[in-house]
Amino acid sequence: MPLTNQPLTHLNARGEAHMVDVADKPESRREAAASGLIRMQPATLALLAEGGLPKGDVLATARIAGIQAAKRTHELIPLCHALALSKVAIDFNVDEAQSCVHVIATCRLNGRTGVEMEALTAVSVACLTLYDMCKAVDKEMEIGGIHLDTKTGGKSGDYRRDEAWASRAVAPSIIESAPSPIVTGEGVTGEVSVGPRCDIAAPCLRVKCLAELRERLGVGDVSVPIERLPSSDVAGLKTALKALDARFEGLDQGRVLCAVNQVMASDATPLTDNDEVAFFPPVTGG
Amino acid sequence: MIRVQDSVFDAGVEQRALLEGRSDIGAVVSFTGLVRDFNERPEVQALTLEHYPGMTEAALGEIVEQARSRWVLQGVTVIHRIGRLDPADPIVLVVVASAHRRAAFDACDFIMDYLKTRAPFWKKEHTASGDYWVSERDGDHQDARRWEMST
Repeated sequence: MPLTNQPLTHLNARGEAHMVDVADKPESRREAAASGLIRMQPATLALLAEGGLPKGDVLATARIAGIQAAKRTHELIPLCHALALSKVAIDFNVDEAQSCVHVIATCRLNGRTGVEMEALTAVSVACLTLYDMCKAVDKEMEIGGIHLDTKTGGKSGDYRRDEAWASRAVAPSIIESAPSPIVTGEGVTGEVSVGPRCDIAAPCLRVKCLAELRERLGVGDVSVPIERLPSSDVAGLKTALKALDARFEGLDQGRVLCAVNQVMASDATPLTDNDEVAFFPPVTGG
Repeated sequence: MIRVQDSVFDAGVEQRALLEGRSDIGAVVSFTGLVRDFNERPEVQALTLEHYPGMTEAALGEIVEQARSRWVLQGVTVIHRIGRLDPADPIVLVVVASAHRRAAFDACDFIMDYLKTRAPFWKKEHTASGDYWVSERDGDHQDARRWEMST
């Protein structure tokens, strides 16, 4: 797309910023899609996917934030018009391979102005909200790649982002080489989430499986609502885990140790809201 | 002083730091554990140490406190490395200073025995024939039990 000979519409003949008068433009159906991403540690992404983060349902909150932001774009960007958007949609794509969350926003209205700024603002604020929701466990997250994907309607015609440029613009991952806080091994194979999300209202336990046990069960971190436990102790938690997912039968295979709030524990150790319970194999350091 | 770190340590530097400015220390014992190139399988090419951040430091602190309650010690340093290590790399360092050699020898031995059976570290070995998690050794538990019987 040539960048020369295209006047900047927000500057008047004297080069001053002004709001474009759209009263005489014909109404048309306008749609824009924008996307961006936030990179994070694989362990953070796993927590996000499992709903194990302290602030609760991260994606639902970021979706609402993105929608609200799209509606308030005119308050943030000086020369944008206030628009009555007919649709704002925010989609997330959790990408384990690249250890990031892709955020896609689509905005639509029948009107006289484009809605690309609304879509870009929605992506930006959704990414910022993801950062806010996850920052307790990961401060190195990086927001990037925010761009317009498509734009339809209006005098300037349809626009579709040039994929050749797009692929060149992909930022190199800074996360993959960074050490993960808990797992110092070579990659976390087969880590998947199980069970219901830990929402803020329901008391729950944060369960970790470490080292060989994590790889054998294919489970790293999971949150378990306390109400699922037949008894409020470690034995009750094991029963609840096995009911949630058959893979936890592996807790009974071989010697598996347990720590509650990082202190060695037994089946009879009582559990309360927000306790951290770790299961792991016999230690082999030194 | 207890440290859990990725980077390499220098046993000489750590020992000098422990002794600096002290004239009440009559004995210092230093143990360094190294990565061997053979274990459950031959041809160990590397090993990866995983730990449980938070609990690791607390467990090491508890072990050192137990040693201090059994022997009169002038200083203790424990350093354990994590992450990927190559054969011949140092893994763990325990330096114990005391007025007398017996306390220093015994406390160093005790700390290593308890570290190997109670501190949350796990080794994964990378060999020519694949990767595997190292199993616990009965011998380590027998070693640790010696200290229970002698009290």
